[in-house]
Amino acid sequence: MAQIPTPPVIELKNLKKRFGIGDAEHFALDGMDLTIQKGEFIAIMGPSGCGKTTLLNILGLLDRSTDGEYFLDGQDVSTIGQRRQAQIRSRQIGFIFQSFNLISRLNVIENVALPLAYKGVTRLKRLRLASDILANFHLNEREYYMPYQLSGGQMQRVAIARALVNEPSIILADEPTGNLDSRSSHIIMEELSDLHKRGNTIIMVTHNPRLTTYASRVITMIDGHIDTDTFEVFQLPDPLAKRPLGVIPEPSPKKPRRKKAATSTTPKRKQK
Amino acid sequence: MRFLLVNHIQNAHQSLRASRMRSFLTMIGVTIGVASITAILALSGGASKVVSDQVDTLGGNIAVVRPGKTTDPLSGLAQVQAERSFSTSTLTEYDLTTVAAIPHIQAVAPVMILSGVIKASSVAPNDSAIVASTPELATISHLETSSGQFLDPSVKQNTTVIGVQLSINVFGTEQSIGKTLTIRGQSFTVIGVLKRLNQPINYNGVDFDNAAIINFASGKQLNQGVSQLQQIDVQADSVAHLNQAIIDVNKSLIVNHQGETDFSVLSGVQISQPTSQLFYAIAGVSGAVAAISLLVGGIGIMNIMLVTVAERTREIGIRKALGASNRDIAWQFLIESLAISISGGLVGYILGYVVAFGITTSFLTFDPLLNWQIAVTALSVSVVIGVIFGLYPAFRAAHKDPMDSLRQYN
Ligand SMILES: Nc1ncnc2c1ncn2[C@@H]1O[C@H](COP(=O)(O)OP(=O)(O)OP(=O)(O)O)[C@@H](O)[C@H]1O
Ligand SMILES: [Mg+2]
Repeated sequence: MAQIPTPPVIELKNLKKRFGIGDAEHFALDGMDLTIQKGEFIAIMGPSGCGKTTLLNILGLLDRSTDGEYFLDGQDVSTIGQRRQAQIRSRQIGFIFQSFNLISRLNVIENVALPLAYKGVTRLKRLRLASDILANFHLNEREYYMPYQLSGGQMQRVAIARALVNEPSIILADEPTGNLDSRSSHIIMEELSDLHKRGNTIIMVTHNPRLTTYASRVITMIDGHIDTDTFEVFQLPDPLAKRPLGVIPEPSPKKPRRKKAATSTTPKRKQK
Repeated sequence: MRFLLVNHIQNAHQSLRASRMRSFLTMIGVTIGVASITAILALSGGASKVVSDQVDTLGGNIAVVRPGKTTDPLSGLAQVQAERSFSTSTLTEYDLTTVAAIPHIQAVAPVMILSGVIKASSVAPNDSAIVASTPELATISHLETSSGQFLDPSVKQNTTVIGVQLSINVFGTEQSIGKTLTIRGQSFTVIGVLKRLNQPINYNGVDFDNAAIINFASGKQLNQGVSQLQQIDVQADSVAHLNQAIIDVNKSLIVNHQGETDFSVLSGVQISQPTSQLFYAIAGVSGAVAAISLLVGGIGIMNIMLVTVAERTREIGIRKALGASNRDIAWQFLIESLAISISGGLVGYILGYVVAFGITTSFLTFDPLLNWQIAVTALSVSVVIGVIFGLYPAFRAAHKDPMDSLRQYN
């Protein structure tokens, strides 16, 4: 079908990110090769410090790689200008930070409405959209709170609401449920899962193996490169079978594939 | 962009309110600068308006000859003063007769201002003027007497016509005809009292309400026989002939002065340009105050904006991550610095008028000029300061790397 020639949303070729120079030199990403198709829900796991956040920052156009290539929608990112990059961040990418990154000067609703401002939405509409999405996350009573008046979990939900308010097609989530109890985590995961069903691409970093059940593909990283990838495991039996079925890979047939991720039961102990 | 502008303005408002004291202190420089500019413009505008209104009501056919070249008022500040107080005027009695002989010139009057004490039963205040002139002065400047008559050299040498305020000051009454006062120790008989004019500022540079006018010959005599002309008033026979007359006056006087243009013939608005040395001194000082405080104020804004940018580094990173382009960030900070400078300018504009009205009601008799040009000038000065000194911090903010900014703790 016509979808076959569309380039992958994200394609990394031998991507490297070096921090420091000389003796302090350290590769946070050391030769990442990764292809992500539109509509995938990817869970990235791996020990602390293995470069997950670094990877997301580069994918989100916040940071530049030291070496290697990154194609976004088939276009080499290093050739995209500053203004266009800002536009991509504004229209296409929703970033959920590990550390929330709410603007402390602004109240909850202003924080959530901010991405819409850079998209050119009118003020009234901004506030309405922000209010709607906050209601989704059961935060409508906290709209006029300042960030420091929120609990960690509430902050996290505000940060997620802010990342999703623009309806981005690529969602980069760095431990979106790190501060949440299992019930709240569930709400967030259902939301992400819903976005996934509507055809959005989601890349989520998590330390919680249970959450990988929501994902269509699980990648584990070690020392700046990919250790295991369920996609490859899955690809072997029916390499092309999934393609013509449609752009949106239905989550149900992939569920058994999660067994691979589930085998790594060791990190379970890390759970809070 | 349009929607963002509103956002930026709200943001600036919020941020200025959040640190009120800091914003207030930063504003002061611009406030003082704009206040000085507003006050100068309002006062000089008011003064020129008074004089130009007078020239208009006098028929518009008046020109004046003044000693010295007219230079740009502020740069000429020092010279004007020196010339007036110490050196002799470049205008001579011969010039007076030359000018009087020029066709289309109806009347010519010398204005010789002398310093000295006026005394009768009490001593006149220091600011009372002694003017030596000829009867034509009354015609040209529309001076009318409320009692008695104007100067007439044929009557008697030592006679004087005095302003009504001077009469009250030295005799305690407006009715002083026939009384005697002494000017520089010489006795003069009052033969006329002028009607009240209430024009302390006029093109003759004399407050006739508070002046004693004596005959030109007496004036020379008081001045060791030397004539010292501050001005020659010239009246053409019609408005249409004024320009030709001015050209002729210029030509003849250049001949008189051996080709040296050490005089100037002024008409219309040129006359109304303020002449008082005090005025130039005030304008010069407040101009300097304005320039210095605007510079200091601008640097203050730049400094505060750099601090703000540093404080908000992380915010800049977040905003960029959420889709702000460099230009969006630059606008955010530029509008904030503009908000400071414009608020400062607004307060300064009001303060300027408070000062101007304060000065005019306590020392002067005219009202400061209120017009939109002054408001626009005040506003533009504030905007220019805000932009000039806000540009660099805004540029710094805009070019911060998103990741480096996000890594910053605050
Ligand atoms: N700005 C930096 N300068 C130097 N080293 C850095 C910098 N940022 C990250 N690193 C290093 O890069 C490595 C990967 O960091 P990263 O934040 O990507 O880890 P992570 O996988 O997200 O870990 P965690 O699960 O704890 O969040 C770490 O060893 C870290 O010390
Ligand atoms: Mg991390």
